[in-house]
Amino acid sequence: MNDLFVFWGTIRWQDIVDVLINSYIVFRLYVLFRGTNVVRVLVGIAFLWFLQKLAGYLGLIITSWAIKGVTAFAALIIIVVFRNEIRSALQVKNLKTILWGIPRKGVETPVEIVVDSAYELARKRIGALIVFPRKENLGEATHSGIPWQGLLSREMIISIFWHNGPVHDGAAIIEDDRIKEVGTILPLSHRKDLPPHYGTRHRAAAGLAENTDALIIVVSEERGNVVVAKGAQLKVVREKEELSKILIEHLGIYEKQEGFSIKGKPELAIAGLVSVIFISGIWFSFTRGLDTMVTLDAAIEYVNWNPKMEVLDTSENTARVNLSASTTLIKSLKPEQVRLKIDLSKAVPGKNTYNIAQENITLPPGVNLIKVEPPTVEVILDTLSKEELPVQVDWVGNLPAYLILKEVGLTPKTVWLTGGSRILKEISTIYTEKIPLDHLDKTGTMTVKLVFNSTRLKITPDSKDQVMVRYVLEKR
Amino acid sequence: MKRKDRLLFYIIILLFVGFFFYSLVLAQQKEDSSGTSFSKKLTLTQAAMCEEVKKHTPKNRAVVFSMNLGRVFCYTSFDPVPEKTIIYHNWFYRDKLSTKINLVLHPPRYTTYSRIQLRETDKGPWRVEITDKRGNILNIQRFSVVD
Repeated sequence: MNDLFVFWGTIRWQDIVDVLINSYIVFRLYVLFRGTNVVRVLVGIAFLWFLQKLAGYLGLIITSWAIKGVTAFAALIIIVVFRNEIRSALQVKNLKTILWGIPRKGVETPVEIVVDSAYELARKRIGALIVFPRKENLGEATHSGIPWQGLLSREMIISIFWHNGPVHDGAAIIEDDRIKEVGTILPLSHRKDLPPHYGTRHRAAAGLAENTDALIIVVSEERGNVVVAKGAQLKVVREKEELSKILIEHLGIYEKQEGFSIKGKPELAIAGLVSVIFISGIWFSFTRGLDTMVTLDAAIEYVNWNPKMEVLDTSENTARVNLSASTTLIKSLKPEQVRLKIDLSKAVPGKNTYNIAQENITLPPGVNLIKVEPPTVEVILDTLSKEELPVQVDWVGNLPAYLILKEVGLTPKTVWLTGGSRILKEISTIYTEKIPLDHLDKTGTMTVKLVFNSTRLKITPDSKDQVMVRYVLEKR
Repeated sequence: MKRKDRLLFYIIILLFVGFFFYSLVLAQQKEDSSGTSFSKKLTLTQAAMCEEVKKHTPKNRAVVFSMNLGRVFCYTSFDPVPEKTIIYHNWFYRDKLSTKINLVLHPPRYTTYSRIQLRETDKGPWRVEITDKRGNILNIQRFSVVD
């Protein structure tokens, strides 16, 4: 019990928000894709992921590796195979529908008219094919349909399939309360297990049902019965009530109570609960598993020092940071995510010693600090100052023996430098670059650059980094 | 008091007053004399780097010296030298003090020099700081030792 309180004490408000946001995203994905095969495949992938974890836990190396490969490919396959479903789900009128709304048909299909029409056609031995799409787009499975957009009525259905009518051979596609297309050609099924008396019309219904999530009503011309095709099933429906029930279930038409479906409510509530449990599980595996340790070399950033000072030296520029977290987090952890900052705002000129504590280290959520090595760092700061230093020529080489370099004049004779007062105190002369004597044979001038041994020294803007050397040569 | 005693008393007073004024004049003279010595400061009249010093004169003044010469001289001449004192020739190789040579100066004027033996590692820029006994820099001579 005490452990439970301790556990609750470690949960941050960010963790709760994190779980809620992601649970809602999963819930919304379910709402948008429910009824399509995407959800089923996603469940399959989740199961594969679980199996892979289990195989990894049991030490089944090849199994774990193989499932991991399949799962990785499955994500790609989903996007390619279910592109139509994804497009349909995302092709909504506004953002609100994606983020908040429960997709529901604005206008419902009058099931009673459809059922009556089907059995009327059957009684009159008029063959018919009526398609009721669900979420999947039928555009790629069907072709040659003639746009109709006629309001659904029993008379219209009968007249479409009336003998010798120009469109009676194809299928009629019904969406909402309208006949969207007529004379549509459906893909034929190549199944060999279909009853021999099933003709082209039945094979077309079976073909579309196999490839999409649509439901197809087939009215047999010869036998005068009604067959419903959905998925891999072809079922003879003898009763109007049964056909009505199948259609209602397929089209998702429920009794309504204040604009929200009674039947859909528990389903969505369960989906929401499962989403929260699922994401909580992932969150636990990410953040609470501290089974893996890692040691990283983190760069130490020294910040906020007085602009009138400069950092002369630091005892350490990197520190070895021992961390623990779940395997997943450790695998995704990059050295640049571990930031180690030392605040020098209170530093004084000279040597400053700082303890590296938890507050100096920024870690990604869920990663815990175990140890830092070294535990302290020393920083030497110096005040910036400005000083005028004389310039001296650095001659090298060999002057011809008969000559004497009598005199040297420099313009300017001095330069102004800025830098740490300690460094400036240590130097008293700025030298030119090395000037070879070997080719000098008469008095002359040249311009040469100055050499700064420390990168911390800078020449002031009003000084130049080169001087003019005037030299006087005389014969012995 | 008798007349003889009174005369002796006046003589003693006169001698005392006379000694007092004499002391004052002497003190004044001494002060004047010391004032003259302050006005005569140790002055460096000449400083030069050279290849040799002969008969108190620098020979072949230069700013670049070959290793083949084997040695370099720093020549200094002072006039006046008010009193016996010492000066220093501080030889720096780059910014590092290489050697510090103290030289005694005698009044009224004095010429002196210091020198270093050149080694292979001495190639590069040098300077000699000439300072008085208190460390005040009187002059800086800059030169290079080359091949």
